[in-house]
Amino acid sequence: MEALEKYLPELAERFYSQIPHHPNAFRVFSGGDAQIARLKQTLQAWAKALFCGVYDHAYAEERYQIGYRHVRVGLEQKYVISAMGIVRAFLSECLLLEFPASDVRLRYARAVSKMLDLDLNLMCESYMHASMQNLRALNEHLERANRDLAEASRSKDEFLAQVSHELRTPLNSILGFTKLILDGLTKTRDEERELLRDVFSSAQHLLGLVNDILDIGRIEAGRMAVRVEDVDPREVLDSTLPLITIPAHEKSLELCDETRNTELPLVRADEVRFRQILLNLLSNAVKFTPPAAPGEPAGRVSVRARVLPASDAPAAPDGHGFLRFEVVDTGVGIQEEKREAVFELFVQGSAGPRHGGSGLGLAISRRLVQIMGGAIGIENGDAGSGTTVWFTLPLAPNQAEQVAPFAHEKPAARVRK
Amino acid sequence: MTPAQSDSKTILIVEDHALVAKFYRMALERAGNFACVVTEDVPRILADVEAGRVHMAVLDVSLANAHWQGRLIDGVELAQLVKQAAAAAGRSLPILLSTAHAMSGDRENMLAASGADDYLEKPVFDAQLLVDKVRRLLANS
Repeated sequence: MEALEKYLPELAERFYSQIPHHPNAFRVFSGGDAQIARLKQTLQAWAKALFCGVYDHAYAEERYQIGYRHVRVGLEQKYVISAMGIVRAFLSECLLLEFPASDVRLRYARAVSKMLDLDLNLMCESYMHASMQNLRALNEHLERANRDLAEASRSKDEFLAQVSHELRTPLNSILGFTKLILDGLTKTRDEERELLRDVFSSAQHLLGLVNDILDIGRIEAGRMAVRVEDVDPREVLDSTLPLITIPAHEKSLELCDETRNTELPLVRADEVRFRQILLNLLSNAVKFTPPAAPGEPAGRVSVRARVLPASDAPAAPDGHGFLRFEVVDTGVGIQEEKREAVFELFVQGSAGPRHGGSGLGLAISRRLVQIMGGAIGIENGDAGSGTTVWFTLPLAPNQAEQVAPFAHEKPAARVRK
Repeated sequence: MTPAQSDSKTILIVEDHALVAKFYRMALERAGNFACVVTEDVPRILADVEAGRVHMAVLDVSLANAHWQGRLIDGVELAQLVKQAAAAAGRSLPILLSTAHAMSGDRENMLAASGADDYLEKPVFDAQLLVDKVRRLLANS
């Protein structure tokens, strides 16, 4: 059969010229000259194996693998069938040229034809197996996706049920008390005013709830617009702390800004969201710290901040460090095993009297902090009692060098962007 | 408000939201002349039931402070305890279960699990409707 070897390059050319007529093959073999050269080589090796009758077990195995590869890259079975057709036709031409004597030609033609049939069977089988494997994998993938969807749908339903539950409670007070007044079931002006105050506070609670639910909805849909810029934490602290002085004083709590004499570096954050997180943590601290019993020291809520240098915070974006804020209270504390759960939707940390709020604040805060590239967590308060809630925000570039950790003196220069 | 005016019945109210409890109490006192006991203290509740000091109960399903044998229980479980305590004392005590869990199927499930007699879906805001419901349950017991 050596006589046929000289036709192999031409066979490869002709074969290759057919590829543009197969949409998929055209896409698969559009990888440039190197890929085309490789393809032609493979074709020649294959044809040689057919012509010279060295189609042994090892070669069959190789062909089988090629079938798998074809399926993986998206070549259809009709590609290999039409390729075989080209080879068969070309072979007839070669045999006519090489062996004018019909009996010899016929013998060769039969031998090679047998090889071609064998190869075609093998390739088809390989295509079929590979396709089945693909289908199985696809099936598993779909099953998994289906399970995930069912799970997501279930948690959506649970969320909806919770939202409905949370909304109905303040509505009960709003509708109930106004109806009592309208029905003439109140006795004095003072009593009516008292009920109206309850209505007002329930309506405020409802508004907070609606805002929180909208926030959660936006975050979950990936539509929370966060505008990150260089923010001065001093300004955020100074504008947020006054918002909780009244509730803190009502419970005779000491409110302590331990950052007051510290120069704070700029952070990368959305100022509105930064303030929202800080206010949430501060109001939680005030809410969960009871007023002191007579003779006992007053409860206390403190804010601290310190720089985590980039060396301590390998996860810092761009290798800058973080500014870590801590809101420390002397309140009821939170059990170790509940410290993760309070970041979930509608979970409040302490058993006991209901503490108002939606149970969404920490969940929202965690998501906001994460969007801004920081982290949030809960630890014991000072002396093991109370709670410390901390969060980090990335430092603005060029800030890490300006302020030493725990710095209490103003550095000479401060870079502002 | 004295319980001895027209209806000398006392209603037990177990509800962890202070304002909702306040509404139930005012509605039952003003529109129905009932006396009310508002508490989440489970041993006290069971003692009142056994002694016949309360005649009917309005229980909220989600309770934050109802402890029993070292754990928190909800209104469904409390309803079972109340029914048992009443039965042990040879009394019948109707229970109205109230909840803001208004998803479909909740009503039937909770009624069946608790043994309560009727179900109240929040928001409940019409004092007269609440009183009518309570009177109907008391009349049937």
